[in-house]
Amino acid sequence: MPITFKELTHEYNAGTPFAYLALDAIDLSITEGAITAIIGETGSGKSTLVQHLNALLLPTKGSLTVLDRTITAAEKPKQLKELRKRVGLVFQFPEYQLFEETIAQDIAFGPKNFGMSEEEALCKAKEMLQVVGLSEDYLERSPFELSGGQKRRVAIAGILAMDPEVLVLDEPAAGLDPQGAKDMMKLFVRLNKEFHKTILLVTHDMEHVLNYCDHVVVVDNGHIVQTCDKLHFFRDTSLLHKLRINPPAIIRLRDELNQRGFELPCDILDTEVLAKAIADEVKHHE
Amino acid sequence: MNNIALGRYLPLNSCIHSLDPRTKIIALILMMVAIFIPAGWLGYLLIGTAVLILTMLAKLKISFLWRSMKPMLFMLFFLLIINVIVIHEGTVLIAVGSFAVYSEALFQTLYIVVRLMLMIMLTTVLTATTKPLDLTLGIEDLLSPFKVIHVPSHEIAMMISIALRFIPTLIEETQRIMKAQASRGVDMEEGSFKEKLMAILSLIVPLFVSAFQHADDLANAMEARGYVPDRPRTRYKQLKMLKRDYITLSTALLILVLLIGLAWLR
Repeated sequence: MPITFKELTHEYNAGTPFAYLALDAIDLSITEGAITAIIGETGSGKSTLVQHLNALLLPTKGSLTVLDRTITAAEKPKQLKELRKRVGLVFQFPEYQLFEETIAQDIAFGPKNFGMSEEEALCKAKEMLQVVGLSEDYLERSPFELSGGQKRRVAIAGILAMDPEVLVLDEPAAGLDPQGAKDMMKLFVRLNKEFHKTILLVTHDMEHVLNYCDHVVVVDNGHIVQTCDKLHFFRDTSLLHKLRINPPAIIRLRDELNQRGFELPCDILDTEVLAKAIADEVKHHE
Repeated sequence: MNNIALGRYLPLNSCIHSLDPRTKIIALILMMVAIFIPAGWLGYLLIGTAVLILTMLAKLKISFLWRSMKPMLFMLFFLLIINVIVIHEGTVLIAVGSFAVYSEALFQTLYIVVRLMLMIMLTTVLTATTKPLDLTLGIEDLLSPFKVIHVPSHEIAMMISIALRFIPTLIEETQRIMKAQASRGVDMEEGSFKEKLMAILSLIVPLFVSAFQHADDLANAMEARGYVPDRPRTRYKQLKMLKRDYITLSTALLILVLLIGLAWLR
């Protein structure tokens, strides 16, 4: 297990009248080499959870192990740079972290901070720009000339250029148009399959969870409510309804048909299988 | 960031909180003038007592006032050093070679320290008991007579309230960008001078970009709602002077007069 949380508690402003318990003694382990979705309502503690992964936030109580580093509440960790290189964290709306004069410089900023030489970093920048789907002509342009979606790609390229083993993304597709969001998710799947990166994804979009993720972690009010694989997760949608999250369209269709007398198996997750099952059922009754 | 006491509003329920902001601003100005009247130690004792009573009435803790003064300690220390070097009057207290510390230097510093402390305490009582928006309403009203000489009182008040409104937003943004850059290997605390410069740059540039973005959005939103600064506007919150406001103002005035009297007698 590369990432495990052990009874980790995080309290903001601990010891003041503004104290707020964001995570309450959570236990969690995340599978290596998979894409894990972290879902939950706004304010449930998702962002607090992911910010522990590269030690931007430190536990108030308990501990966590990321790769081979263990961070406990008891001691103040040193040398966090190495961990931050290996766990790349992409914040929500990362386009606001761009600041360099050229896109190439901005992408190379991270790697250079982690000790890569200028030439190597610029070479890496060129490579990563292509990975995120922008052409080489952009390298010498200012990041502030780009559109919102392009800026986000550049920002993500900046994290990818650090070559992290674990990639954590906080709502990477928020605010993008449907096609842009789809491309973004496909990029993460490719990074996972081709480059074997462990990916954690905070998301609100159940379609993305269904189509691109392997595992699901549900956070609610500072607690982990469920950790399971995708198949298990969409078998029973009662938890989703309880959290006031709309299940994906296919799952809704499957459940509604079942409510009206169909007997479709509950592990159907894609359109073709569902269509075939419906056809069989209809044929069966004729 | 949450420990800053200077200028912070404390939502308590006291008779000072419920005063009209205009009263509080005028009273503050009166007291400030009083502080600068050279009425000797008796005068400061009088103002000091008044400030303490005010603090108690406002239900503020002395520790809160003390914390708001902390950022000034460095300046006070600096003042002491300058005074010790510059002032050569009174009796010599300590002499090391050609360097001597005179009694007057210490007295002068003490005077300034007491004045500054009283001023900060008074201002803290004002900001801790008045919501920033009420404060700007008060400023707007107090400036409105100056419209005759073309002082744009409404525009000034609007600018102050927008500035106040965006302080928490920008603090939040700063923290977010700092975290994002820390994820890219920026170390805000350690590193060489060049690295530190780069770290600050990586924070400032995005912060400016987003501040301009906010300003642009806000300007558009205001224009879309037909905001024209020089048109007469109605207000949801009406300020009204009550009996307690007149009492407060009279007290402040009385203190000022007493101080002037004391200075006269000296």
